[in-house]
Amino acid sequence: MRRGLALPIIAVLGFAFLYAPIISLVVFSFNESRLVTVWTGFSLQWYAALFQDSQIVSAAILSLQIAATSATIATVLGTLAGLALTRLGRFRGKTALTGMVSAPLVMPEVITGLSLLLLFVAMEATFGWPSGRGFTTIVLAHTTFCMAYVTVVVRSRLIDMDRSLDEAAMDLGATPLRVFFDITLPIISPALISGWLLAFTLSLDDLVIASFVSGPGSSTLPMVIFSKIRLGVSPDVNALATIIIVVVAIGVAGATWFGMRKPKNR
Amino acid sequence: MKKPQIAADTRPWRDVDAKPFVRIANVTKTFGDVYAVDDVSLDIYKGELFCLLGGSGSGKSTLLRMLAGFETITSGTIEIDGQDMANVPPYERPVNMMFQSYALFPHMSVENNIAYGLKREGLPKGEIADRVAELLKLTRLENFKARKPHQLSGGQRQRVALARALAKRPKLLLLDEPLGALDKKLREDTQYELVKIQETLGVTFVVVTHDQEEAMSLATRIGVMTDGKIAQIGEPQEIYEFPNSRFVAGFVGSVNMFEGTVTEDEDDHIRIASQEAGCDIYVGHGVDCAPEQILWYAVRPEKMVLSRERPEGDANITHGFVQDVAYLGDMSVFRILLDSGKRVHVTQTNSSRYDPDAISWDEKVYISWASDAGAVLTS
Repeated sequence: MRRGLALPIIAVLGFAFLYAPIISLVVFSFNESRLVTVWTGFSLQWYAALFQDSQIVSAAILSLQIAATSATIATVLGTLAGLALTRLGRFRGKTALTGMVSAPLVMPEVITGLSLLLLFVAMEATFGWPSGRGFTTIVLAHTTFCMAYVTVVVRSRLIDMDRSLDEAAMDLGATPLRVFFDITLPIISPALISGWLLAFTLSLDDLVIASFVSGPGSSTLPMVIFSKIRLGVSPDVNALATIIIVVVAIGVAGATWFGMRKPKNR
Repeated sequence: MKKPQIAADTRPWRDVDAKPFVRIANVTKTFGDVYAVDDVSLDIYKGELFCLLGGSGSGKSTLLRMLAGFETITSGTIEIDGQDMANVPPYERPVNMMFQSYALFPHMSVENNIAYGLKREGLPKGEIADRVAELLKLTRLENFKARKPHQLSGGQRQRVALARALAKRPKLLLLDEPLGALDKKLREDTQYELVKIQETLGVTFVVVTHDQEEAMSLATRIGVMTDGKIAQIGEPQEIYEFPNSRFVAGFVGSVNMFEGTVTEDEDDHIRIASQEAGCDIYVGHGVDCAPEQILWYAVRPEKMVLSRERPEGDANITHGFVQDVAYLGDMSVFRILLDSGKRVHVTQTNSSRYDPDAISWDEKVYISWASDAGAVLTS
């Protein structure tokens, strides 16, 4: 009896610890009052106010564009890296590449951001590209660290895949390129979708790296929120945060779902 | 009246002038310093069902993968139908392979799996449809053509894999443990089906297997492999009755092996004194050996006879104690401890349903065999 109760209690406490802050934020986004800490009644006014704030709307659009672009590039590059690590057999520097590909996962964001900023400045000074900082530099920076995540996802899927599927296609007359598009790609596609969603979410979330490599007029949504918070917490930020939570939750859930889907015949 | 077939018609390997279809010459494959395949030479003739038999790590699969083109050859040459395969990539070889895991494309229906090779060949749609229908009929899969591989049973998947490998009408079909994933009953049925299909289509088959029973019942010839080398090539009966080494004798079927020394070496017979057997062994034909030479005599369990009374003769008769009898239905296996301390197996067919006087455990028995029952082995 005791043992039967202990587990649910621990679970509830654990979940409360994780989600109480988020729930309070969501609840207060529907608050009527201007004061963030006092509940006066239900209202959607802060959501309305949010969509009238042109700074936030344009930052959101920019963030979505950056996220979509860098997720797409990261997926292509990450897939290539995953293929190189699993399909090229043994080559010089394979171990080093395996380690280096996952390094951005553990690198402090401040360091990644700073080093990228230095690189972009040096590149501009040397051959004039990228001129200034903005959309391009943020996309490049996000692609860099998102690619690492995509590589990990795609690589594990490729390791699971039966090599003889590729060989069978080749045996039946498909050239290596054909094999990739007919067999490999369809079979690893859940991993690609999952990797893309993960990259999209990560890019949308990022504040630190974007702060380093963005320029005037190219503030992403997290940057706008952060600067607003510094002037005091206003309820419209709660509303914005709620929307972001919903979008990110959908992204992560989608990534997990596609990642877990496996071909049944193996 | 049917004309009697001449052996050379059905057994081209017995004809010295016959041109081999697959010629493997001095092929070696190394992985690092490991010799996976070590100087193998082998000729395979058109229409053959050749079995490569060996344990794991014997190099049989590597040899098969070299025929398919998935492994490069370290040294030596492989010719298929007179063409050197050295620089021919897998997708251009006149060869198809059936994989051990079947390797069915999980995202394609049965029909599309079978049609895949034909589409790559660029055949017109109508012809592809005809060919697929024909194969579905051959492998009795008409009712499953729209299914995905994961909706099929093991036996059905095996047939899809076979149909897909046959679709391009390859000159040579390679089969890697084709029956390995099937249960025993299904395996027996499929075995005959495979031979029937092979004979109907006249395709040359090279089958890799570790199962000696499978090899014996499928093959026209068997190549026994060990440590990357071919130990013996021969028809199933040759391999079983005339093994050329202790390894082959022991690997194919079960065998009783006696070590002995040559005491009489004549043109028409030899005599071996064997302490292990506990008697003299008389071999009724000449053997290339020298007096005092140590050699081995291998005799199969079913070639030995048990009796309570001592049979006539001064050789090939030994004595022992029945330790155990295993009743297998069709036959019984007797485990007998010889007076020399050596343990032998003797099998007897259970030709009657109940024999109250049958030899049972804890009995002392005489074991005897004919002068041509076993093989003399020098290696």
